[in-house]
Amino acid sequence: MVAVNPIYYIALPLLFAFMLPILGKIYKGLIRIVPGILYAYLMVMSLYLLRQVNITGQPIIVEIAGWKAPWGINLIFDAFTGLIVTFITVLAFLVWMYSYRFKKVEFDNALKYFVLLMLVTVGSIGVVLTGDIFNQFVFLEITALSSYGLTAFYRGRDGAEAAFKYLLVGSLASTFILLGILLIYSQLGTLNMADIARNIHIMKPELKIMAFLLLFIGYGIEAEMFPMNGWAPDAYSQAPGPIGSVFASMTSKAGLYALIRLTFTLFDFSTVSKLLFVMGLLTLIFAEGIALRQEKIKRMLAYSSIGQIGLIMIAFSFNTYLGVFAGIFLMINHALIKSLLFFSASYLAYNSPKKYIKDIQGFGKYMPITAFMFGLGAFAIVGFPPFSGFWSKFYLLLAAAQKHYIVLIILILSVSLVELVYYLRVVHKLYFAEPTGEYEPHKPRWNGMLAMILLALVIIAIGVYPDLITHYIDRAAVMIMDKAQYIHNSLGL
Amino acid sequence: MDNLQILKIAFYGASISLIIVGLYAVITKRNLIKIVLGLSIMDNGLNLLFITIGFVNNGTAPIFSPLVMEKYKTVEAASQVMVDPVVQALVLTAIVIGFGVTAVALALVLRLYRHHNTTNIDEIRNLKW
Repeated sequence: MVAVNPIYYIALPLLFAFMLPILGKIYKGLIRIVPGILYAYLMVMSLYLLRQVNITGQPIIVEIAGWKAPWGINLIFDAFTGLIVTFITVLAFLVWMYSYRFKKVEFDNALKYFVLLMLVTVGSIGVVLTGDIFNQFVFLEITALSSYGLTAFYRGRDGAEAAFKYLLVGSLASTFILLGILLIYSQLGTLNMADIARNIHIMKPELKIMAFLLLFIGYGIEAEMFPMNGWAPDAYSQAPGPIGSVFASMTSKAGLYALIRLTFTLFDFSTVSKLLFVMGLLTLIFAEGIALRQEKIKRMLAYSSIGQIGLIMIAFSFNTYLGVFAGIFLMINHALIKSLLFFSASYLAYNSPKKYIKDIQGFGKYMPITAFMFGLGAFAIVGFPPFSGFWSKFYLLLAAAQKHYIVLIILILSVSLVELVYYLRVVHKLYFAEPTGEYEPHKPRWNGMLAMILLALVIIAIGVYPDLITHYIDRAAVMIMDKAQYIHNSLGL
Repeated sequence: MDNLQILKIAFYGASISLIIVGLYAVITKRNLIKIVLGLSIMDNGLNLLFITIGFVNNGTAPIFSPLVMEKYKTVEAASQVMVDPVVQALVLTAIVIGFGVTAVALALVLRLYRHHNTTNIDEIRNLKW
């Protein structure tokens, strides 16, 4: 079929991102409408392709420009990459819906915002789809560069400072990644990830370790891994509200995907999962500990986001089917729930320049629905039963129990308790504290409301009826565990 | 040690020391412009390293032209003297990316300078560093 092809994920948003300024000259409203139509189309296409892949069991491989795999670049849409891409496109559509009226009167700023939004989507989808490691690096740079731009979006805030910090760390990351790619290429003479995975055993051990560590640190920085995640809270808090959701569901997921591909497919170390485990644990404890002390709502959400990344890394480090299953479930839930939290929080703290938690106390009276959405998200991310967050934590604990990690189970439960404390503190203030009266509440627009309600419905639907997506996650988990199948799919061997 | 080996070592040494110089500048310098310069130097070192890996002494362009085939007869012999085109393609891409990053970094420095009236990183501390 002509209308569905994974290449459109990259070609169309890139094309329209750079055409937006011209379209804006024709009619100013087009810069808002065109991204929406495009995202809707990509979302429907992802759902269709994912269904297709799951029914036939065959991945969809696109060879770009007709060059066969080890020589050319291919895009791989299989059960795992397809699932992540689907969630990225769904979230992109919701972010668009939420920010449809963003900067309604300032045309230039709105234009910049939508162009950067489309570029960040292209980058993160490309990282997930591509089968070529250098191509992945290029897409990661597209993601990072547009994220710098989005972080520095507001002139009034300290956006430039946060963006510069992010840029410094991000450039170091890209240097490390390039060095790692260079080492691999100089030894194996190939850039195709399946080809690298097939031949990695002939690489000299010391060079292999060096290449792995370089790539691990590089991708780890992008995935907000401890200790190189100092940029994340600043970037989350300085960027416009909905971009917090973009960072949580796209930018960090792209880095995380690269990290997972690196440890599961590319290299053949048996001790890698231990490294992933230790780094995940450190990330989790560090982030949740700091989140507890935060007084600004967006910084708190950012640290909570980093903590979730730690949990996901721990889940993947089990290296068992159940662990990977829990990890993918956590990735999806993190994207959904964190988006809801960022959406509602940025409406709650709309008029407060510093975004302190005390500025929004008592807002439950003025903005009942938005406050309710924040409460729902808070309970979902901690892992209460009627919401989707419950199932992912449940499977994570199950995976830990299967491995007999009793201490880890206690640790995860106590970390959840910490999460509960700092989220409940905010929810409590929202509903039971007297308003300071310093800041006016800001009525949410219909489009923001709709985006939040849709997200909440998805979260509840998955929570009540997890079979909606467990089938897809099951296929994805089988796919990422099966290295031989990936090589077979990519190279056609 | 023949000239070729010395040349190779010189290139590797130059590229690695460029990376280290850049990294040193990024870590120790307090001036924003100098930090951006450091990033740029680091990029250049990396690019040089890439090119060095594809280096072939007296190499030719990787095109099987009639002239080359006449000189080396077989495809195998000809491919021995051809430089690796992949690394050069990678470096071209990396240069463009590096240019983009430098441009964005300089734009941010300009914004920071207008906001704080200084380019000293120690005096810009509204966020925790």
